[in-house]
Amino acid sequence: MNEKSRILVVDDEPQLTRVLRTGLKSRGYDVRAAADGLAGFETFSDWQPDLVITDLAMPNMDGLELCRRLRSISQVPIIILSAKGEEKIKVEALDLGADDFVTKPFGIDELLARVRASLRRANAPPSNETTQTVLEEGDFHVDLESRNVTVRGRDIRLTPKEFDLLIYFINHSGKVLTHHTLLAAVWGGDYVEQDQYLRVFVGNLRKKLETNPASPRYILTEPWVGYRFSPNE
Amino acid sequence: MEPVNLRWAGYVGAIFGTAIVTASLAPFHEQINSTTVALTFLLVVLFVALFWGSRPALLASVLGVLCLNFFFLPPLYTLSIAHPQNWVALTAFFTTALAVGQLSARAKRRAEEAEEGRREIERLYQELQAVFERASQAEALRQSERLKSALLDAVTHDLRTPLTSIKASITTLLDEVRGRSQEEQLVTLDSESRLEMMEVIDEESDRLNRFIGGLIELARIEAGELRLRRRWGTVDEIISTALARAEPLTQGHKVEVEIEPELPVVRVDERAVSEVVYTLIDNATKYSPDSAKISITAQRSDDGTIMMAVEDQGEGVAVPLRERVFDKFFRATRDGDISTHQPSGTGMGLAIAKGIVEAHEGKIWIESGRGGKGTRVMFTLPIGDEDITEESEHSAAVAAKSL
Repeated sequence: MNEKSRILVVDDEPQLTRVLRTGLKSRGYDVRAAADGLAGFETFSDWQPDLVITDLAMPNMDGLELCRRLRSISQVPIIILSAKGEEKIKVEALDLGADDFVTKPFGIDELLARVRASLRRANAPPSNETTQTVLEEGDFHVDLESRNVTVRGRDIRLTPKEFDLLIYFINHSGKVLTHHTLLAAVWGGDYVEQDQYLRVFVGNLRKKLETNPASPRYILTEPWVGYRFSPNE
Repeated sequence: MEPVNLRWAGYVGAIFGTAIVTASLAPFHEQINSTTVALTFLLVVLFVALFWGSRPALLASVLGVLCLNFFFLPPLYTLSIAHPQNWVALTAFFTTALAVGQLSARAKRRAEEAEEGRREIERLYQELQAVFERASQAEALRQSERLKSALLDAVTHDLRTPLTSIKASITTLLDEVRGRSQEEQLVTLDSESRLEMMEVIDEESDRLNRFIGGLIELARIEAGELRLRRRWGTVDEIISTALARAEPLTQGHKVEVEIEPELPVVRVDERAVSEVVYTLIDNATKYSPDSAKISITAQRSDDGTIMMAVEDQGEGVAVPLRERVFDKFFRATRDGDISTHQPSGTGMGLAIAKGIVEAHEGKIWIESGRGGKGTRVMFTLPIGDEDITEESEHSAAVAAKSL
């Protein structure tokens, strides 16, 4: 990092913004804080941060609306701070384009790990998908033309839909993917309510990819939300 | 339609009625004119029709004709008739009897049907009422469940918020102590940041403790266990105690105190009332801009109570919310759509204040400040002329009910 990454923290709880500002600054980030969605959005426009961390329930403009507005103008990574019991609104935020979430109360390491992962994804050189024919991610080696998949050096046979699903997972490694997002991306908009499709295909994929499908290491379940793909065991 | 024994009763009635009329009138047939006899038989037909319906009435008509002919029309004790005129009379009687029987029976049926209809409507109405009652009970239950879960949400939110800050600070400090540095990220915490993290932990622990204290106090008020320790004291003392406690909060504000001279002493739980004043001052500082004026007044009101008020120059409380702000866990800043950047409180202060004031048989309410701006919270305290120590427990229970 030759230049400090800029992080915008949006939360109406001043004590928490105080902590996050200090905690993130100590790790070499440049931090600004805003007390509600509206102020957050203004700061974003002025300052163009590299990442936004936002609470969901706030006065003036809540986290959902902030996600919606940010997504209409930017692809900046967004991490949501949510509490248990806010699952529905959290999923809504992820569907609106938020990248990840941390559940309150959280340790600073957990947040930092998410921050690093999100920044890394955002800073990765854009893969030129039209010419790229081979995907290399962790334990996975995928030839997009011959549709050959190798995991830990072992050839795997996949059905076309399983293949599509895996490719989507690999292209969005580390990111929380809601049921809704996955269904819309792989099966199309008509299927977004068909959670059971997804469950079946994820089950099949796990059987073929995981060393121990009962405790998966690649396709991780985010309870009530969706899945997160990790290319390394 | 009718039960069989009722119809038999009708026929028996017809026979019996006709027999009685015949028996009682026959001995005097020479004195009574046959028109009277005919009308009496008609009366029997009418009664039978009204009580038992058309068929027994038909029987009564036939019997009437026979008896009239046999016992009263000459030649007596035969079914033959001497006078052709009497034939006409007899036919007229029979026709009239039939018509009376039919009509009155029909009228009776109508009346019965109407009655039946009325009863049916009444039954339906009662059933509907029962259904409505059950539905509203279920609705009330659902609402109380919703309220309970809303309260639980509020409480968990208030417990989790400070915990989140504490956990984030402590893990920040821990990481530095453990010297963890992931992905070449340097952990550099200067002493100022370290101090800040510790301050957050300290303050948020206090906040948690305050919140839990409030919960306990509320629970006590609701259970009717608020025990007032009433003693004679002065309003001056109560207000100055509250002000001293609130000093760290009011440094940025201009506080004016105006106490009417020669106020009578009051017999109250000074600690509790001073807590009320403190809560009101705390709210005033929280919801009005820095350096704005906060005025505290105490005066004797017309109805022999002492009225205290705390007034600020903040945004005020909208009229529809002025009752609800006394509900526990209700926060105008969060639930009432008042946009402010100020941290909101626990949502318990005013609920506790109300409990304390009502336990003293006083009232508490909100008005707009002078000139229609800001908030003025007022409450009354009765002047404790009599010893009402025994009553204080009772009044706490009353206050608990109203919460």
